[in-house]
Amino acid sequence: MDKVVDLYLNIASVKTKWQTFLTGLGLHNFSERELAVIDHTLGLVDETGKLVGTGSIAGNVLKYIGVQNDDAHPGARFNQIVTALQQYLFSQQIFHCFVFTKEKYSASFSHLGFRELAHTEEAAFLESGTPDINDYVAALPQVPDQKNKRVAAVVMNANPFTLGHQQLVAQASRENDLVYVFVVATDASLFKTSERMKLVQAGTAACKNVQVVSGGDYLVSSATFPAYFLKSPDELIKTQTVIDARVFKKYLVPALAIKARYLGTEPFSRTTNFYNESLKQELEPEVAVQIIPRYQVNGKVITATKVRQAIKDDSLSQVKEMLPDSTWQFIEANKKILQDRIKKGMKINGN
Amino acid sequence: MEIKTTGVAGTLESSDIQIMVSKGTNGIQIDLDSEVVKAYGKQIKKVITDTLTKFGITNAKVKATDKGALDCVIAARTLAAAQRATETSDKPELEVL
Repeated sequence: MDKVVDLYLNIASVKTKWQTFLTGLGLHNFSERELAVIDHTLGLVDETGKLVGTGSIAGNVLKYIGVQNDDAHPGARFNQIVTALQQYLFSQQIFHCFVFTKEKYSASFSHLGFRELAHTEEAAFLESGTPDINDYVAALPQVPDQKNKRVAAVVMNANPFTLGHQQLVAQASRENDLVYVFVVATDASLFKTSERMKLVQAGTAACKNVQVVSGGDYLVSSATFPAYFLKSPDELIKTQTVIDARVFKKYLVPALAIKARYLGTEPFSRTTNFYNESLKQELEPEVAVQIIPRYQVNGKVITATKVRQAIKDDSLSQVKEMLPDSTWQFIEANKKILQDRIKKGMKINGN
Repeated sequence: MEIKTTGVAGTLESSDIQIMVSKGTNGIQIDLDSEVVKAYGKQIKKVITDTLTKFGITNAKVKATDKGALDCVIAARTLAAAQRATETSDKPELEVL
């Protein structure tokens, strides 16, 4: 009988053995940024002590799962390692998990009760446990007779919320009956999720038909779209943006009767640019993709990146004109805290 | 019985069933995943519902991933998950089985 053991990848010899095993199974991406997020790794060893399977956990995402089936009942080892990973998550009170895997493994995960949320030719994205995407969608606020209303969506990180964001939402608000503003829920930005949520709420309070909600695990989250938060190769960004767009289209659009999605043009961020292209390709014609030119003040394009840079450089007055009052006041009041976060290593040049 | 948290029992291995019990408001709702759902789906759901009802749970969301478990296994896993969800594992009510 195979045995489940903990693998400590911080031990060089263990890491080498693990990496060699996975390489033999065709897994090759062992970049620092992929490995850095791993919380725990399990191994499966046979009676002779040989490594015959492995799987890792990063947050609530299963990663680096591989089993060698030559001398075992097909599926048995895969089931055993996935069970063991789930038990580990349960012991941490995590009852909901995701896997981002090659398309050809989607069926194996489906056999274990995972639900496929979206796939491309290369990759598949699945979830298991509770609360799931249907619970998430069911908890979003709706208005009476929503089916027949003009409903639009905006997804933003708002790190922090600028006049550009505000005007984008204002335009969507004027042109629609109801606008959902989905705020990216992953906490990996200079402004914490709770702060970004508050700034978006304050900055859109004047638009009465706007609902500010969390993007949960499903919209530009570290599960659907890890490349948004990390520098990544083009191919990976492309796959992830398509998956993200397909999840939105399959689950959010029909349930909320969304008919349009508003985006800002993206002169600076390569990742966001890819994302905008994927959205257009995937969502149209069912959902109108409105790409709105970036707003400018005094000939300068508004961008949250510049605001973060100004916080770092302690030159806030330069960006005051880019910010709604609410965001400006928050930054002024919390300047020291924000600068401390940057000093402690929080990256500010991402999204 | 009040459900306080999410409770899980069982594995995804052959002849077992994994049961996850969490808070619900609309009776006992079961989301069952099984390769034998056509032949035994009704029976599996009945065992889960009966076990929960006997235990005193009337509202719950249940996710069940079946790998060909026998009724006695289904009942035992359901009870274990229910006791974890109600945080009563320290005083097992085995008479429910």
